[in-house]
Amino acid sequence: MKKLEKQTLLGIRDQFGSYAWDDAEISELVDPKLGIITGFQELLDQLEVLRKLDLESTPPAGDISLK
Amino acid sequence: MTGSLAFASIGELSTSLRNREISASRLIDLYADRIERLGETSKAFISLDIERARARAEIIDRNFDETLKLNGIPYACKDLYDVKGLVTTGGSQVLQDNLAQQDAAAVKRMDQAGAIFIGKNNLHEFAYGATGENTLYGTTPNPYDHSRLAGGSSSGSAAALGYGLCAAALGTDTGGSVRAPAALCGLVGFKPTFGRVSTEGVIPYSWSLDHVGTLTRSAADAGLLFEQLALQHRPGKRTGLHQLTIGIPESFFFEHCDGEILDSVDALMNFLREAGANLKTVSLPSMEYTRTVSLTVQMPEALSYHNRYLEQRGHLYSQDFRAGLALGQCLLAEQYIRARRFIETYRNTMDHVFTGVDVILTPATPVIAPKIGVVEEAVDGHSEPAGNAITRYTSFFNMTGHPAITLPCGMHSEGLPIGAQLIGKHFADEQLIDVAQQIESDYDFELPLPDLD
Repeated sequence: MKKLEKQTLLGIRDQFGSYAWDDAEISELVDPKLGIITGFQELLDQLEVLRKLDLESTPPAGDISLK
Repeated sequence: MTGSLAFASIGELSTSLRNREISASRLIDLYADRIERLGETSKAFISLDIERARARAEIIDRNFDETLKLNGIPYACKDLYDVKGLVTTGGSQVLQDNLAQQDAAAVKRMDQAGAIFIGKNNLHEFAYGATGENTLYGTTPNPYDHSRLAGGSSSGSAAALGYGLCAAALGTDTGGSVRAPAALCGLVGFKPTFGRVSTEGVIPYSWSLDHVGTLTRSAADAGLLFEQLALQHRPGKRTGLHQLTIGIPESFFFEHCDGEILDSVDALMNFLREAGANLKTVSLPSMEYTRTVSLTVQMPEALSYHNRYLEQRGHLYSQDFRAGLALGQCLLAEQYIRARRFIETYRNTMDHVFTGVDVILTPATPVIAPKIGVVEEAVDGHSEPAGNAITRYTSFFNMTGHPAITLPCGMHSEGLPIGAQLIGKHFADEQLIDVAQQIESDYDFELPLPDLD
């Protein structure tokens, strides 16, 4: 998986009907300077690991009921 | 009555109220005086409702109803709960005009049980964060050491009890936001089974993970509150400590943990063995990606709720919460669904674990209350953001939805409380609280009151 680029997130913002996040906020997700969100790339890397695990037919978690 | 009246348990206060040794009005005055003296230091409250509380107390005193379990007991709630006629700010500049038209379901139940609402507690903005830092209302200091955090996100609720400003508090727990601050402040924090207490009228953070929870001075008090708040009652027969099988996780929950916390939990485990409990090692799911899974559910859900305010009031959010919401915008739908599916696998594995044990025991937190302003906590060569450290042992059980309770079990040489966490089976909340109550009653440990002078 390629490293996340700012242009990708700008595309989501501008072409996906998203809230108009500031450019600086988008930059922070890709290249953190302020230390507010520092782990987005790491999060994506971990999600990529999880994507490769086969969950078979497991459904999404719902309400909890007595078994 | 042990200790000062301001630090008495609900059980003790109820006995005194029933015996007419004190009045509800006197209790309100007591807490109001303390709030006046310590409110600014503690930063526990965002708003107060003392005049209505006094009026309610006078009515209660005139015709005291002994059948009501919480009659005359003053309590507070995190400022995510709607209380009719008051602004629900969520601890944010965004909702300064958010006047509640009715009470949250939990507030209604407290009211029906005779409890007297006195005010709304400070919190990490919209419950986004476990440090309890709030740029608008201030950061709540720990009652045992004012240079350290009370913890969050139910920071003001923990501080309100810790500083002796009310008898009980309602918080919310999405990753440990009730249990962790309770543990850091020497209190009992209880998160019920997901769905057993209504979240109606509480500003959501993440619908899939949010739980209404309680902060109290004792497990017995947690039981009293839960009895009133639970949507259905499922009382089971008492399981003595000698009848219990207690699971001890073989990994993760005792790793990268402060040595004195480990010693305190070890001492508790020895007590439980001596009491006849069977302690056995259990294998829980791998925790390697659990924070990733939790975050992948939290942030899109938070964004989905806050979308209603972003267009008009987006600039009023704090910088860190906006950044979190922006992250939520950039996750894919399939990643969110996949995270929810992983949660289902966690639940299935835990169901299997619970076929062999009655409860699971862990430390409540791997660290004592961090210093205010400290960004990273390092233990045993493992460094992480302070908020992650505070909730490292609690957040998994928000995903699985199991009931969990934290209770004090020791004092650190730094002068701060140490907590243990017990996790129970789904819908076995009453049994879990009962086990905690037996430990509280039989374990030879008494937490000193904080020195607030």
